Amino acid sequence: MIEVKNLCKNYGDRTAISHLNFTIEKGDVVGLLGPNGAGKSTTMKIITGFMAPTSGEALISGFDVFEHPIEVKKRIGYLPETPPVYLDMTVIDYLNFVADLKMVDPKKKNDYIQNSLLKTQTESVQNRLIRNLSKGFKQRVGLAQALVSNPEILILDEPTVGLDPKQVAEVRQLIKDLRGHHTIILSTHILSEVQATCNKVIIIHQGQIVAQDSIENIEKLSEQKIQINLRTRKPIADATIFKNQVSDLEMTTLDDGSYKLIFKNDESLIDQVAKIVIEKNYGLLELKITKKSLEDVFLNLTYGVKN
Amino acid sequence: MAAIWTILKKELKAVFLSPLFYIIIFFVSLILSITFSVAVYNFAQISSNAMMSFGLSSPQQQNIHYMVFLSHLSLVNLIFIFVMPALSMRLISEEKKNRTFDLLLTSPIQSYEIMIGKFLSLVFVVLAILVVAVMYIFSAKRIFEFSLSTALVAALGIFLVGLVYSAMSLFASSLTENTMLSFFIGIVLNLGVWIIGGLSDVVDTAWLKAVLEQISLNNHLQALIEGVIRTNSLVYFLSIIALFCFLTERVIESSRWKA
Repeated sequence: MIEVKNLCKNYGDRTAISHLNFTIEKGDVVGLLGPNGAGKSTTMKIITGFMAPTSGEALISGFDVFEHPIEVKKRIGYLPETPPVYLDMTVIDYLNFVADLKMVDPKKKNDYIQNSLLKTQTESVQNRLIRNLSKGFKQRVGLAQALVSNPEILILDEPTVGLDPKQVAEVRQLIKDLRGHHTIILSTHILSEVQATCNKVIIIHQGQIVAQDSIENIEKLSEQKIQINLRTRKPIADATIFKNQVSDLEMTTLDDGSYKLIFKNDESLIDQVAKIVIEKNYGLLELKITKKSLEDVFLNLTYGVKN
Repeated sequence: MAAIWTILKKELKAVFLSPLFYIIIFFVSLILSITFSVAVYNFAQISSNAMMSFGLSSPQQQNIHYMVFLSHLSLVNLIFIFVMPALSMRLISEEKKNRTFDLLLTSPIQSYEIMIGKFLSLVFVVLAILVVAVMYIFSAKRIFEFSLSTALVAALGIFLVGLVYSAMSLFASSLTENTMLSFFIGIVLNLGVWIIGGLSDVVDTAWLKAVLEQISLNNHLQALIEGVIRTNSLVYFLSIIALFCFLTERVIESSRWKA
């Protein structure tokens, strides 16, 4: 569906992205994840045909973005970082205009417009000027605009930025509902968003892909280590009590007074930890195995921060 | 074609359904009404003086075309110089500023279609203002006897000049996302085509003088204003319009390649 080969983009001397390679299958919901300035928006702008890459190519449904831009653009719905809305138009006029721009079949146009209004819950404001809408509604109108041509591919650049928590949840739900009807790429620097909506994630850092896989596989990435949460009645002074039996152990005290222990993935070591706590009379209250979260993986991959 | 119509329709709605245009038209007709009445009054006095063979008025002074219509149309010309950049800055500059231009660039539509749609909307604006201006000339027909076709050819000349301003203002609008700057560049370009004509009087070198005379707007407008349609003038106007439309299209296209 979407194939990106050796994509590079330089802004003058600065390299925005270098040698990106990825493939996205039909029906995938892919999260483009990375800290601010990692090159997410640049990648999306190239895929949408908004700007040319310095080198490399991007294919959408077999069409090269720069050889056949019109064919590609017909298939894409794009929501940029700033929703591209005309402030002096009403919502319905605006969607009509976008549908015309995207060459929607006039017979289907009304259905598509109604459908996008319905999906983004903007019917109630359809006759209002976009100027007078709240930020959340403007964002939703932007989303309606991306949906109005019923495109095969939806590219959403930070779709939940600037929304209140309820709206964020609604937009995520919307993206989930769209799954299966469209191939979706969304960019974000918020992890939970990827976890909530995507089945595949591409992590970009400083213009390069540091990881790309399904969410489950990414989470497994750092399962060479095991992590447990430990709560005891008496405080544990320091980690040395475990040192003899459990090697390579890291212990951090969490805010609620419990401890986070990370050590080699060997289940017999969990026995050892429990045994030590009990034998030394610290009073074992809770011992919970926690998987390393995607957040940890993400931070690890992008910033090299260890937990 | 459909894409051009889509853009044109949207821009026409934006112009003709907004109060801004009607405010402009209101002030234009206010100014024209005052100056036209004054000119007609003066002309009536001069011609009655001439009839009673007072004074020594030249044949031009006894001609309503020179005395009334030309000053009327040159005022319209002046209005175009300032109004066209003001209306064009919305078309591309403001769209770039509001990021709505991104929508056009990611739609299945070619750069030239964007340019033509936007330029055509300006053609309609020029036409609308000119229709208002020409109504004064028609109204004079009730009082005076004159050749209407000469006046209409002069109006055609102003129409073509209006299109030249439109093309140059649209080009100015495409250059920057700062709307004030694009307005200013537009005015400078519009005034520039007049200044070039003035330069030909100062230059001594024969060939340079000839070149400047040929690219001067004034020289080409002169024939039309006197009621003569010359092919080379038409070619001149159309090519200058085409040149700036082409440049605009290039600038739009280049934004796909630049960062």
